[in-house]
Amino acid sequence: MLGTNGNGAPGSGSRPLLEVQDIYAGYDPNVDILQGVTLHVNEGEIVCVIGPNGAGKSTVFKAVYGMLGVRKGTVLCNGRDITNIRPQDALKTAGITIVPQLRSVFSQMTVHENLELGMYLSTDKAKVAERIDYVYDLFPRLGERARQEAGTMSGGEQRMLEIGRALMWEPRLVLMDEPSAGLAPIITKSIFKAITRLNQEIGLTVLMIEQNARQGLQASHRGYVIELGRQTYDGLADDLLGNANVRRAFLGGH
Amino acid sequence: MDTLVQALINGIAVGGFLTLMVLGFSIIWGVMGVINFAHGEFIMVGAYMAWFARSEWGVEPLYSALPIFLIMFVVGFVLQKLVVNKVIDRPHLVSLLVMFAVSIIMSNSVKLIAGADFRRVNSDIQRGFWELGDIATIPRKHTVVLVVAIIVLVALQTFLQKTRLGKSIRAAAQNREAAQIVGIDIKWVYAFTFALCIGITAMSGALTSTIIPVFPFMGPPWALRAFVITALSGLGSVKGTLGAAMFLGLLESLVATYAPGSSGSQLAVITAFGLLVVTLVLRPQGLFGGLRPVDAGGH
Repeated sequence: MLGTNGNGAPGSGSRPLLEVQDIYAGYDPNVDILQGVTLHVNEGEIVCVIGPNGAGKSTVFKAVYGMLGVRKGTVLCNGRDITNIRPQDALKTAGITIVPQLRSVFSQMTVHENLELGMYLSTDKAKVAERIDYVYDLFPRLGERARQEAGTMSGGEQRMLEIGRALMWEPRLVLMDEPSAGLAPIITKSIFKAITRLNQEIGLTVLMIEQNARQGLQASHRGYVIELGRQTYDGLADDLLGNANVRRAFLGGH
Repeated sequence: MDTLVQALINGIAVGGFLTLMVLGFSIIWGVMGVINFAHGEFIMVGAYMAWFARSEWGVEPLYSALPIFLIMFVVGFVLQKLVVNKVIDRPHLVSLLVMFAVSIIMSNSVKLIAGADFRRVNSDIQRGFWELGDIATIPRKHTVVLVVAIIVLVALQTFLQKTRLGKSIRAAAQNREAAQIVGIDIKWVYAFTFALCIGITAMSGALTSTIIPVFPFMGPPWALRAFVITALSGLGSVKGTLGAAMFLGLLESLVATYAPGSSGSQLAVITAFGLLVVTLVLRPQGLFGGLRPVDAGGH
């Protein structure tokens, strides 16, 4: 549990890697789902966003990633304005990638081909091979299944492949939309473990959304609660885990 | 016995040109979720271009096929950029209606320019038969199309499996969101796919112009066969399209050969579309595998 060391987030004091400043966005032209969300992620941090269904958690990701237009406010990456970036440019120009909530492997391609496509932007074959070996080192299970069609693997293995593919291009920030969605509890645990391990070993910066608030916060340094389109609480993960209001509303505690 | 052999040869011959005709329809549907209702009209335009090249300059359809492919590749690219990409995020029905309108515009424009007459395209290469002893004859015009179909199939399969662009097309077909995440420019991939498919389709029209009658409203029966074959093969599968086209070619040929009296061609059509109904009800994924429908082409 990262949250228990109580020392706060690494990298605090330096400029945040991602800054979301007072953004407004929505699907219906007349309805803003996000009504002034502000949050930031420092380099090397794991930050978890929790909140009830329909509060706009996934919408924040879509807005950051350019899949949904931001109507007001700005998104900065490393101090640079990336508001309304095109999704296919997010990785190349800002080093941001996303592991979506729904299954996103290329199901009729092998594990190996999926990883190759993670470096679609590179034409340096040697570099691609090197990164694939690197991912196989991180997730030996994927190496064992290199020639298997991705769609035939278990849900946990597919999630692992999605994370592995996201790491191929050495992203600066990985957005994870409910990494535990649709997985058995024991698998969920191993996924969170993998995320914290990647954070400790390679300094991976992660912003995640989690329905499973307790486990999500336990794996994180800091957290935000989003309700009705804006953040209502934020702080160190431990503090949120201990906060009476947060516990009552989202952690099933008393 | 001889009749059976001849029926099988005819079936394979028809299967060959059906494969080439249908491939583009199946891939456009599989990759971008667009049902190209104007498919038959692109066959028709290709056939007219071949007819024009033959009657004006004496160029064999076999030789005009490649330039026609290139011209229609460009036309397809522009059409995708200006029209199809604009409606592709909307529900499937919108792109279907747009392509339906395009089909009417195309057939009526050709009628306006070239008239409504039936055209026959003569060819010295695609003429006559090879005798197979006393057993059967092999029509040369079909054989040429079959050979080109096989070349196109192998080239296309290699392109999709081995090249970076080919892989990005498969990736876009299998998971549109993930394709964007890894940095693939979806709209560009769509435009290229559309262009490629329109090029192949027009080329198939050029080559088959020596076999089937050419007129402005020749398209719809071929577009309907494209539906049957795509339903049988599963979306966007190159191998599946070959299998299903051969299957349909053989089926139609056998029914036409053995049907009583002059009922053959009607019974063949009835069988083909009966097969469509049965397949859709019993095996929605098709008989020969292939891609599942695109998940995010519109909701």
